[in-house]
Amino acid sequence: MRGLIRTLTALWTKEWLALSRDVHGLAVLFLMPAAFIVIMSLALSDVFRDGSGRPVDFAVLAADANAAAYLADGIAGEGFRATPAPASEAAARDQVRKGNPALILIVPAGFGADPSATLKLLADPTLPPIQIAAFLQRVQGATLAVKSSSPPLSLEVVGNPRGGRPSSVQQNVPAWLIFGMFLVVMPISALFIAERRDGTLARLVSQRVPFSMLLLGKVGPLFVINLVQAALMLAAGRTLVPWLGGESLALPARWDLLAAVAASTSLAAIGWGLLVAVASRTIEQATVVGGVGTILAAALGGIMVPRFVMPESMQAWAGLSPMAWALDGFHAVILRQGSAADIALPCLKLLVLAAALLAAALWLHHSRRAG
Amino acid sequence: MLSVEGVTFRYAGGDEPVLRQISISAPAGGIFGLLGPNGAGKTTLISILAGQLRAASGRVTVDGTPLEELRRREPASLGLVPQELAFYPMLSCIENLRFFGGVQGLGGARLRERVAAVAAFARIENVLARRASELSGGLRRRLNLAIGLLTEPRILLLDEPTVGVDPQSRSFLLDSIRALAGEGRTILYTSHYMEEVEAICDRVAIIDAGRVLREGTLAELLRDPAAVVTVRQGRSLDQLFMHLTSRSLRD
Repeated sequence: MRGLIRTLTALWTKEWLALSRDVHGLAVLFLMPAAFIVIMSLALSDVFRDGSGRPVDFAVLAADANAAAYLADGIAGEGFRATPAPASEAAARDQVRKGNPALILIVPAGFGADPSATLKLLADPTLPPIQIAAFLQRVQGATLAVKSSSPPLSLEVVGNPRGGRPSSVQQNVPAWLIFGMFLVVMPISALFIAERRDGTLARLVSQRVPFSMLLLGKVGPLFVINLVQAALMLAAGRTLVPWLGGESLALPARWDLLAAVAASTSLAAIGWGLLVAVASRTIEQATVVGGVGTILAAALGGIMVPRFVMPESMQAWAGLSPMAWALDGFHAVILRQGSAADIALPCLKLLVLAAALLAAALWLHHSRRAG
Repeated sequence: MLSVEGVTFRYAGGDEPVLRQISISAPAGGIFGLLGPNGAGKTTLISILAGQLRAASGRVTVDGTPLEELRRREPASLGLVPQELAFYPMLSCIENLRFFGGVQGLGGARLRERVAAVAAFARIENVLARRASELSGGLRRRLNLAIGLLTEPRILLLDEPTVGVDPQSRSFLLDSIRALAGEGRTILYTSHYMEEVEAICDRVAIIDAGRVLREGTLAELLRDPAAVVTVRQGRSLDQLFMHLTSRSLRD
């Protein structure tokens, strides 16, 4: 056990020293996502304010099922699609927090008879404000068929800590943070292939350092780097973006959940980096496979183009990207103030992927060694 | 005694085996020279002995004990000095030595003691703080050798350890290797330089296309008819090598 700890300590120390002296690699990891966060948050701020043409699911919760169905029929159309009503207001909040459906209108008992009865609208914070405004207009139109005047209506954005609407920075900070974390594929593969080319890997194997231990030796320092990345990118959203004229990032109360999502994302990113490193024969090959793979996953997963502006069929494909899982996790915490249950599925998917990628890297190494 | 018996190996996807029933015996306290043209299988054999590749068939033993079992019991019993400069150029010499010592379980005073000893042996004490990438060719080769000696292995595999160094460094390295054999180690030495093999090896095997063509002491090999002819011409082992492996280019 003492020997294993010594081996792992030596591997981590070496990895730290090697990474700390790779100035270009570190610049890619830290400056690139920071630059994307600033540029994209500022560039897309108007787009986020203007909304998009995505069909939005909604539901109407009312004591009287017939009234609910009547109102839902009146509201549906023009980009809004009715879905079954939840069982209770608590269930409604839970569903909106998960973003499905994005809007739930709560109709109080006696709505038709009581002129002071107030409608309540629960809204998903990731929904563009223009769509909420459009929905409110359709609600007013539908209720005029029931009442002679527009009823009072309170709007509650479920999960947003500021009680306001999500901003461009709240979409872009987690998105580019995830992209930056997956960029670890570059330094991992460059260092690993250099180790193989220079014979250091062969020397370590000949010293009976298990290959799994060598991979573990890379996971530790890169995991810490990913978490530092996460902290710095969130800080950039909090300070740098508002300093340059954008909105400030609203941070969640549950830092532990944020850390869990960041950790799961990091392990998946490192697993991807290790597989590319083991599979690639040259640094050029790793750069192409790792770089293009990361960019494709980002494009598909809603990093470059938010998923809510994608067509529905494309959104289904987006769900295949690990970056989309990570983004779901970050949005559950940052935008929706979600609970552990809300991040469980995205985190589980990322961790299973990390384990599968690591297993694939080990299998590939051993199959090559056998000749 | 390090014994290799009937070892065969074929790379995945390769048409022909790289090693075909290779058998050699390297005595303890001596230097065994492995000679062969490019692609003969020398480095593949070294890689199998070092545990980097797994042979399809055959066995490797040390004094009758399977090498794999010996290394499970004594992981540091074998040291490898590969033909590549197998260390981290971005780390200093001492960081490299500490790292390779650390991954083999050395720590504390024992690690400090071994780092100092191998640095002194390879005469790199004065450059320990310098980054490996800043060293001259000779110093890099000496650092490469020093790393292989950190755990005082009883079996030492040296794969072309003098490639690309000046005559002074080569002479120093050869003297050092001779001294290591004097301490009772088994040393397997591959090289393209016939004069090196003639100068330091006790036994020699000439291999080509994955087969052992000749094996014996230097004296035994020089009694070979092909060598006898050339001894008169003063070229001995070099001529025997060329006679056995032919003059065609290999790469």
